[in-house]
Amino acid sequence: MDIKEYIASGILEAYWAGELNEQEMKEVDRIASIHPQVKHELEEVRSAVLNFSENLELSPSKTILNDALAQITEEEQPEFLKEVFKVDDEPVEEKEEKKSFNLPLWSAAASVLLVISLAFNFYFLSEFQSSKNQLLGLQGDLEVIKDQQSSLAELADEQKQQLAYADLRIAHFLNEDNIHVRMDGLDLSPESFANVFWNVKTNSVFISVDNLPEPPHGHQYQLWAIKAGQAPIDAGIFDHSLLVQELKVIKGDVQAFAVTLEKEGGSPVATVDQTYVKGFLEKS
Amino acid sequence: MAQQLPYLTSESTVEERIVYLLADQDKKALTLIFENYGSLLLNVIMRVVKDRMMAEDVLQQVLIKIWNNSGSFNSDKGSIFTWLVSISRNAAIDKTRSKDFRLTQESERSVELVNITEKKSSEDYFEKMYLTQLVNQLPEVQRRLINMSYFEGYSHKEISDKLDMPLGTVKTRIRLAINHLRGVI
Repeated sequence: MDIKEYIASGILEAYWAGELNEQEMKEVDRIASIHPQVKHELEEVRSAVLNFSENLELSPSKTILNDALAQITEEEQPEFLKEVFKVDDEPVEEKEEKKSFNLPLWSAAASVLLVISLAFNFYFLSEFQSSKNQLLGLQGDLEVIKDQQSSLAELADEQKQQLAYADLRIAHFLNEDNIHVRMDGLDLSPESFANVFWNVKTNSVFISVDNLPEPPHGHQYQLWAIKAGQAPIDAGIFDHSLLVQELKVIKGDVQAFAVTLEKEGGSPVATVDQTYVKGFLEKS
Repeated sequence: MAQQLPYLTSESTVEERIVYLLADQDKKALTLIFENYGSLLLNVIMRVVKDRMMAEDVLQQVLIKIWNNSGSFNSDKGSIFTWLVSISRNAAIDKTRSKDFRLTQESERSVELVNITEKKSSEDYFEKMYLTQLVNQLPEVQRRLINMSYFEGYSHKEISDKLDMPLGTVKTRIRLAINHLRGVI
């Protein structure tokens, strides 16, 4: 190939003008990679065009770059640690560290729950069995036996449901995509506590109703997401009797979650002095 | 990212720096891409969407796509510019399929170039003066050709039609203009 002729053909100028198709461009790249002279010439043409654009102020506005960078940063934010903890520039290590810290904690909590669940399961199963044997052995009053059997079955059902909830709760604890926020009781009810799981991928909020007093008639608990400088955001009302429930989707820079007691059906505005439990997202 | 990273030195080319920074997930890569290839990519996009404002919009999306697909660049398959052009063309074509593109097409057929500012500070004042001089001395026709070919998204064929100039002459004059801008006379 005659390199001089190749350069003089105008193909290098066409290359930067976007005049060539992908295959033709790759061919130029290939030739440039084996002929330093072509590579050099290619760069010269580019810098001539670049100088032209700078001199005549034809370069695209820097706002385009800044907006793109801002959008990228925003898209990265669901990697919630960065957002919540406002570690702006070197979030990667922070995140890794946080994860490796959290996981064993969740695992430990999950294991404890699992062991408790299994123990209960065994306990009730054996109780059920032995009661059954006892009843058969005694051949006592049928009425009584039936009552006992059904109440035991009820108990077993209840236990089954509790187990299902416990499983669900374990799943939430184990889910790496969940931020876990423990909400502790405030003055109104110091013994109370509840847990929030906030999925960073779907932004769904789940509540685990752990220890909240029975709400008075005509009232309901409501979860709120708290952001700096804003009124609490409604995260959904929930049923006191269900252990784990999925509530609303919450996005953005949440700093805390809180539960207030509201009239049945919930309220658009939080009754702050009826806050039962509250918990902040952990700071690293 | 199985590629071997070039070891960066002060001699490294812009391309090597960008490849390195991209593989390193460093956002400075985007700044370098924007500064060195931004206007060329904008031109590539304008060849498809024909509207500067919209092309700028696409360029912004392209930067984000570059970032999200930085792992897919493979220097064995071509240069960084070829890869960037491919992303830009696809994004521009996607844009032409979007609803807002069709709406704009209906309402304003031809859009004047928007004047944009923003300048980079120069390292070497005299070098800059010389280059400015080269640009200023560029004959009007050649300047028009450079503008159309590199900044206004016209293909050589379109320029030939629009200026009623044979295709071969368009190509020769563009090359002549570039040579002039390089100080090669």
